[in-house]
Amino acid sequence: MAPALSAREKEPPGSGPKGPDDCRRLRRIIAEDPLWSLALVPSLSHLCLKSFVRDFEGLTVYEQLSNTEREFIQERLPPSLPLSVTANVIEDGVYWKRCCKQQWDLCDVSRYGDSWKRMFFERCLEGVIELFIPGVTEPKKILEMVPLCENYVKRLDISQLLTPIREPKKEEEEEDNVLGLENDDEYDGPQMNHFDFSILLEKLICLEELHVAYRVKQCGLNYEGRMFEMNYKDCVSLAKALKSCKTLKLLRLHQSNIDDMKVQILVKQLLGHPSLKELDFSHNVIGDVGAGAVAKLLTKSKLEVLNMCDNEITDPGAKAIAQALSKNSTLVSLNLRLNRLGDEGGRAIAEALMNNITLRHLHLGANEVTGPTAIALAKVIAQNNTLKSINLSCNNLGEDGGKALEEAMSHNTSVTECDIRLSEVDEQIVSSINQVVWTNQGLGQKG
Amino acid sequence: MDEASSSKTMNSSISEMSTQRMISMQRDLTAAVTNIQTAADARESTRRKELQEARQRRLELLENNARSSQNKAEEIFEALSSTKEKVIPQELQEALNSQQNICTLVLEDKDKLINDLQKELKVSDDRFVKDLRRMAEELDLMKERMEDQIKTLTEAYREEMSGVESFCLQEIEVLVTKDKSEWENHMKELWDQELERLEQRKEKVVEYETKIHHLMLDNMDKESIIKIEQDANFQALDVENQKMKASTMLMNLQQIKQKNNVDVHNFNLSQMYERISSLQMEIKKLVTKFSNQAKYLRDTSHHLKKDYKRILEQHERVQKKIKHFAVADAGRFKEMWRMVEAEVTLLVEKALAIDSEICVKHLGLAWDQPVLPFRELPGSIRPKQQTNTDPHPQLAQTQQALQCSGGAEDTSDRASSEAETTAGDQEGSDAGLEEETLVAVSHLLCDATGLIQESLLMLLSPLEEDVQMAMKLGSSLYALGLADKDFPKLAHFLLKYRQEQSEDVSGELSASSDQEEALIINPNQVLIALKGFLQQHKGSRENSDQSQSSVLQTEHRDSSADRVYWESLSNIITVDKVRLWEAAEESLQQHLVVLTEISELDIEKESLEQENTELRLLLQQSLSS
Repeated sequence: MAPALSAREKEPPGSGPKGPDDCRRLRRIIAEDPLWSLALVPSLSHLCLKSFVRDFEGLTVYEQLSNTEREFIQERLPPSLPLSVTANVIEDGVYWKRCCKQQWDLCDVSRYGDSWKRMFFERCLEGVIELFIPGVTEPKKILEMVPLCENYVKRLDISQLLTPIREPKKEEEEEDNVLGLENDDEYDGPQMNHFDFSILLEKLICLEELHVAYRVKQCGLNYEGRMFEMNYKDCVSLAKALKSCKTLKLLRLHQSNIDDMKVQILVKQLLGHPSLKELDFSHNVIGDVGAGAVAKLLTKSKLEVLNMCDNEITDPGAKAIAQALSKNSTLVSLNLRLNRLGDEGGRAIAEALMNNITLRHLHLGANEVTGPTAIALAKVIAQNNTLKSINLSCNNLGEDGGKALEEAMSHNTSVTECDIRLSEVDEQIVSSINQVVWTNQGLGQKG
Repeated sequence: MDEASSSKTMNSSISEMSTQRMISMQRDLTAAVTNIQTAADARESTRRKELQEARQRRLELLENNARSSQNKAEEIFEALSSTKEKVIPQELQEALNSQQNICTLVLEDKDKLINDLQKELKVSDDRFVKDLRRMAEELDLMKERMEDQIKTLTEAYREEMSGVESFCLQEIEVLVTKDKSEWENHMKELWDQELERLEQRKEKVVEYETKIHHLMLDNMDKESIIKIEQDANFQALDVENQKMKASTMLMNLQQIKQKNNVDVHNFNLSQMYERISSLQMEIKKLVTKFSNQAKYLRDTSHHLKKDYKRILEQHERVQKKIKHFAVADAGRFKEMWRMVEAEVTLLVEKALAIDSEICVKHLGLAWDQPVLPFRELPGSIRPKQQTNTDPHPQLAQTQQALQCSGGAEDTSDRASSEAETTAGDQEGSDAGLEEETLVAVSHLLCDATGLIQESLLMLLSPLEEDVQMAMKLGSSLYALGLADKDFPKLAHFLLKYRQEQSEDVSGELSASSDQEEALIINPNQVLIALKGFLQQHKGSRENSDQSQSSVLQTEHRDSSADRVYWESLSNIITVDKVRLWEAAEESLQQHLVVLTEISELDIEKESLEQENTELRLLLQQSLSS
C-alpha cells in the first residue's frame, strides 16, 4: 500500500492540467511577469490604429475611418507633426485642442467659434506675422502657411508689426541725425516699412475680421517714433490688400498713428467694398478731413458700426459725419468718444438723428459738448424710439441740459442706457434718469 | 391651496428681490469700474484742453517773443546802418556797445524763452510720467475692482443660491410634513373604508354563493331537459339532413353522370371524327391497294389461267392413271380373293380332318362329311365360272364401268349417245357454221328468255355490245344452271329440235332454211326446247356422275354377301362340335395330368429304389464291417 500511495502523490505534478495545479501556474505567471496585465489583449484594429498613429504621414485611409477610430488617432497623434501633413486631413477636434494647449496657456475657444482648429491656425498665422521682420524673414514663410490655413482663418488679430532692422546703417543714421533731420524721411522713403498685407489678404478666402495695430510691443530702450506709426507706403499696400479681400466684415486699425491723408487713402479703396460692416479707427490722430472721408464712406457703404474714438475730430468733421448720418440707414452704432466735437458738432449730430431711425448706440463722451447739445439730444430722445444707449459722460452739460434730458427721458421707453456721469448735472436728475433707464431695461427684458 | 399660493408668491417675491439685488449690485459694481474710465476720460479731456491752452499760450509767447526779437533785430540793423556812418571810434565804440547790449538782451530773452520752454517740457515730462503712473495705478485699481466685483458677485450669487436653497428646503420640508400628515389621514380613512367594504363584500359573497348554487342546480335541471329535447331535435334534424344529403348526392351523381355522358359523347364524337379521318385514310390506302391488287390479280389470273390449263391436262392424265390403277387394283383384288379363299378352304379341310380324327379316334363315332356350303353360296370367285354366271351385280357393274371408261360404247344412255352422235354429226357437217350459230343462239337466249335480271341489264348498259352479250350469256347460263362448256351442246340441241320440228311440219323447209335456222327459230319455242335440253342435260350429268362414282367404288364392294360366305366358311365347325371339342379337350387334359403325375411318381420311385439300394449297400457295409 505504501508504494502505491507515494506513486499517487507523485502523479499530480507530472500529469499537469488538473484544476489546482493550473491555478497555481496561472498565479505564478502573473507574479513573475511584471508587465502582465489582466486587461484584455488589444484587438487588431486597435493595434492597426496605433500603427497609424506612429506613421501618420504615410496614412491614406484616414477619411475612411469611423468617428471613434478618428478620435482614437487624434488623442494619440503627436502635436509635433508638420502642419502640411495634418492641416487638411484632421478635422476640428481633440488633436487641435492638444496642439493649442501645448502652445498657449490661455485658450478661450469661445472667441474662435468653439473651433480649436480655427484657433490654432489663426494664432499660428498671427504669431508668424507678428514676428515677421521685413527684409529678413522671407515672405515665403508666410505664404507657405496660406494653403494650410486658408480654409480656417476667419479673424486676424495682429497686435504688433515689427520694423526692419537697420543695424549696419545705424552709425550713418546717427551721422545723418547730426547733419539734418530731413534725411531720415528720405531714407525711409524707398524702403518698405512694415509687413505687406497685400501678399496675404487676397489668399485668405475666409477672412472676416482684421485687427491691426502698427506698433511694437516691449520695444524697451530701442524706442523709435516710426515703430508706432503707419507710414504712407504701408497705408497704400494695406488699402490695396483690403480691397482685394472681399470677405472682410470688420476692420480695426487702432493705435497706428493714422492721420487724415492715410484715412483718405484707405477710405478711397474701401468705398466699394462689398461686405464691410464694422470700421474701427480708434486711438489715431484723424482730423476733420479724415472725418469727412469717413463720412463719405458712411454714405456709400453698408457700415453698421463705426468707432472713431480718441481722435482729433472737431465740429467740421462732426458736421460731415452728421450729414452722412442723416442719409444713412444702416449704421447702428457710432462712437465718437474723446474727440473735440464741441457744441456745434454735437448739435449737428443731434439734428441728424432726428431723421435717422437706425442708430441705436451713440457715444459722445468727453467731447466738450455742453447744454445746447444736451437740449438738442433731449428732443431726439423724446421723439426717437430706436436709440437704445446714449453716453454723454465727461461733458459739461450743465443744469439746463440735465433738466432737458430728464424731461425727455420721462417720455421715453426705449433708452436702456444713459450715461451722464461727470457732466455736472444735479444728482437728483441723474438718479431720476437712471430710474427711467432701469424701468426701460426691465421693459426690454420682459419684452 | 392658500398656503401653496402664498408660498408661490413668497417664492416669486424672494426671487424678484434677489434679482433686483443682483441687478443693482451689478450696476453699482460696473459703475464703480466704469467710473474710473470716465474719470480718466474726463481727465484726459481736461488735459487736452490744458494742453491746447498751453500750446496756445506758448504760441502767443513765441509770437510775442518773435515780434520783440524782430523789433530788436530791426533796431540792431538800423544801428548797424547808422554805425557805418559814424567815424569817430568812441561813437563807434558806443554804438558797438549798445549793439552788444541789445544782442545780449535778445539772447537773454531767447535764453529765457528756451529755459521757460525747457522748464515747461520738463514739467510736462514729469506730468506725463505722473500721468502714466496714475494710469497704471488706475488700471491696477480697475483690475482690483473688477476682481472685487467678480468676487462679490460670486459670493452674492452663492449666498443667494444658498438662501434660495435653504428657503426651498424649508419650504419642501414644510410641504412634505404637511403632505405626509394629509396622506396619513387620507390613508387611514381609506383603510377604514376599505375594511368596511371588505366586510360588506364578504357578506355579499356568501349571499351570492348560495344564490349561485341554487341557480346552478336549477340551471342544471333546465339544461338537462333542454339537452334531451335538443338531442331529439338534433336526431330528427340529423335524419333529415342525411336524407337531404342522400338526395343531393343522387342529384350530384346524376349531374356527374350527365356530365360524364356528355364527356363520353364528346370523347366518342372526337374519337369518331378521328376514326373517320383514319378510315378515310385507310380508304385511300385501300383504294391504292385495290388498284395494286387488281393489277396483281389480273396478272395472277393470267397465270392461273395458264395453271388451270396445265392442271386440266394434269387432271386428264391423272384420270387416265386412276383408270389404269383401278384396273390394276381389280386384278390384284381378284388374285387376293382367290388366294385367301384357297387358304380358307385349306384351313376348313384341316379342321374337318381334325374333326374327323376326334370323332373317330377319340369318340369313336362315325364321322360324316359335313356339307360344304361355300360351293353353293354366291361370291366365291372362280375363274371358270366368271364369264358365264356373273353372280355379283356389283362386279358386273364395275366391269361395265371399266368398259365404259376404257372407251367401250356398248352400254351408254340414249341421250348421251344421241348427243354424242349428234355432236359427231354436227362436227362433221356444220363445222364452219358453228360460230355463227353460237352467236345466234346466244342472242336468242339473251333477248328472248326473261332469264336476265333488270338490274343486271341496267348495270350492263354502259358496256360494249360484245361484252354485254358475253355477260348476258354468262348470267343466263348461270340461271339455267349450265356450264360454259354445255353451251355448244345447247346450240346443237336447239338445232336438232328445230330440225325435228321442221321435219314434223315440212321436210323440205329444213334444207332451205338451213342457214337461217338461228334467225327464224320461234322464240316461243325456245323455252320448250330449253326445258327439254335441261332435262336431257340433267340426266346426262347424273349418269356421268354415276359413272365416275362407280369407277371410284370398285374397292368398296357390297360385303353383305361376302360376309355370309365367309361366315359359312368359319362356321364349318358348328357350335355343338366346339362343345364336343371342348369336352374332349378337358378329358384329354385330365388324362394328361394323370399321366404327368404318374411320370413324376415314377421318377420318385426310381430315386427311392436307388436310395434303398444305397441303404442296403450301407447296411451290408455296416453289417459286413
